[in-house]
Amino acid sequence: MSLKENIWGYIFIAPWIIGFLGLTLGPLLFSLVTSFTDYNVTSQMNFTGFDNYKRMFTMDPLFWTSLYNTVYFVVFSVPLTTAGAVIVAMLLNQKMKGIKIFRTIYYLPAVLSGVAVYFLWMQLLSPSTGLVNTVLAWFGIDGPAWLFEPEWTKPALVMMKMWSVGGGMLLYLAVMQGVPKAMYEAAELDGAGSIRKFFHITLPMITPIIFFDMVTSTIGAFQIFQEAYVMTDSGEGGPSNSLLFYNLHMWNNAFEIFNMGYASAMAWVLFIIVMILTFLHFKLSKKWVYYESGDQK
Amino acid sequence: MKKWLLIVCAGLLAVLSACSSGSADNTNAEGKVELDFWTFWGSETRRPMIEKLIEDFNNSQDEIVVKHTYVPWGDIWTKNLAAIAAGDPPDVIVNDIRTVKIRASNNQVEDMSKWVDDDLKDSFYPHLWDAVTYKDKAYALPFTTDTRMLFYNKDAFREAGLDPEKPPRTWEELKEYSDKLTVKNADGGYEQVGYYPNWGNFTTHDWMINADDGKGLMEGGEPTINTPAKKEAIQWMYDWKQELGSEAVQNMKAEFGNEQQDPFISGKVAMWAEIGTFYKQLEEFGGDLDYGVATMPAYNEDTKPWSTGGGFVMEIPKGAKNPEASMKFIKYLTDVEAQTYWGENNFDNIANKEATKQITENLDGKGAEIFQKSMESLEYTYLSITPPEYPEYENLVNPLIDDALNGKISVEEALDQAQKDVENSEQ
Repeated sequence: MSLKENIWGYIFIAPWIIGFLGLTLGPLLFSLVTSFTDYNVTSQMNFTGFDNYKRMFTMDPLFWTSLYNTVYFVVFSVPLTTAGAVIVAMLLNQKMKGIKIFRTIYYLPAVLSGVAVYFLWMQLLSPSTGLVNTVLAWFGIDGPAWLFEPEWTKPALVMMKMWSVGGGMLLYLAVMQGVPKAMYEAAELDGAGSIRKFFHITLPMITPIIFFDMVTSTIGAFQIFQEAYVMTDSGEGGPSNSLLFYNLHMWNNAFEIFNMGYASAMAWVLFIIVMILTFLHFKLSKKWVYYESGDQK
Repeated sequence: MKKWLLIVCAGLLAVLSACSSGSADNTNAEGKVELDFWTFWGSETRRPMIEKLIEDFNNSQDEIVVKHTYVPWGDIWTKNLAAIAAGDPPDVIVNDIRTVKIRASNNQVEDMSKWVDDDLKDSFYPHLWDAVTYKDKAYALPFTTDTRMLFYNKDAFREAGLDPEKPPRTWEELKEYSDKLTVKNADGGYEQVGYYPNWGNFTTHDWMINADDGKGLMEGGEPTINTPAKKEAIQWMYDWKQELGSEAVQNMKAEFGNEQQDPFISGKVAMWAEIGTFYKQLEEFGGDLDYGVATMPAYNEDTKPWSTGGGFVMEIPKGAKNPEASMKFIKYLTDVEAQTYWGENNFDNIANKEATKQITENLDGKGAEIFQKSMESLEYTYLSITPPEYPEYENLVNPLIDDALNGKISVEEALDQAQKDVENSEQ
């Protein structure tokens, strides 16, 4: 009886299993094998040992450039977007007339899709006629040529990312509204002001979501690609390669010069980097994430 | 119960095998050979043209039927390689002339040499023929090419007191003319810039080649980047940029991208490097703009007016089922009649010499003038071929040139470093 049930179970999940084996696990293992070869999509696939990895760390200056650019972006964009989302959520977590309209407005950018947004930002960031520099000029600041000066390209992209904090904001708003009112009332009785309430009640109560948001957005930030591909001249990595992100370099290797072996090796190195960082996130989380229901192991 | 499992598995297998089974040969019901021809020409102007050529070919004989498949520009060559790997490639494909050698060295194209004789070889421009051969064997036939020329605004010339029939012929003249043509406005910006060497379709690499009397960044498969002439070219661009003001240069470049109108057509820039097909744009959007066209200025009186170009070829992907029939179709596409039709209607420079001659006889007016000029320019057009050993060299060189032009490192350092990086990247 139980064997029969098992078989039926497997049959019912067969579509997923086939999809997983064929479309996820298969290609994954294939790319691992490929990373030790000189595979170029067509005929050749010679085993070359650790050559691809060796080349990456010792002979490819663009690998280090791309890694630096990506880490720079992660280091600035993740904390800023997270803090931005928390602050916006806090401001929108008030009881007042018309707050729903504001919530909608702040969420709107998250609804707009990729390439159109990048084009919009290219206009906003235009050095002499763009809105950003026009506003800066009101305060007497002579704005830089954002996407054309190597020192300003990455900050420009971080700023652009700040625009879409609406997605994270929604999560924080939901969890903030779940914080029991009794806690705030108790704190008020003890004479706590709103800043104290935020740091001692709201913030600890939402740490699980902050943690979740940090992990997913770190992974997401490492994958930055489209922004650089769309917003630079012919997708080549911007002035002085200041926007040559890891994935863009990998993409160039894979689909411009069809060096699939090398690109696969790069993909695995990125995978390992992200794995280590996620592991560290989890390790560190014990120190600062608070679970109301006790230890979440 | 196991029977059920068996049936499900068998069903799945049947579906999977149905997906992979294609017809073994390409003959259709009437016994004709069917060819699948991949192009990225899907636009309103180009698609009808290539389809007319195909139709003419299909009607001209009764052994081969060609079917056109449009594959978007961004996908076509990736899909082609995937199809070659899967053993089911298209029969004929249009591909980039600069990378034929790479595909040949990777065994991704069929060798055509047994169908090629000296007559066929001599019908094409020699520099194009060089590009399609690898180790003395032909792997593609050239279809189109292009060459950069200097378009200049005659009205602006007149206003600046220059003779509109005398375009600049050397770097010195180019700079002198540009200074006269540059007009500042009241708030310190530019009303009009005469010329800036890093705008338009002729930029850092092109000027380096122009300065070095037609020697590229890669010669004989080896990097030749830090030559004195190439350093001088970048220094020249750097000085020019300083003179105009690097901020102004960046701001204008950013605006070109946002504007609806081309900076040459709107009169922002008086001299502009572009390929011959720019004529189509000028015809459509230029209104009554009075312009002339010239070959690119030469480094000095003693060197040639070197320009650069690219182009497309027709080739047979490795493993195509009917290479002989494919070759017949390719020969037709690169022969006088089809080439004349393509060049006349499209304003591409074409690979066939005889057809080019015919077009100049058929055209008149402005079109003839530009086509004539492009033929002159083709005499001294350098085609950058990506060597198989250094497929990435541009990605290594460009950021260092950017750094030099931004004044972060000296020109000397930049090109020496570029030379070293490219040497190290040998694969």
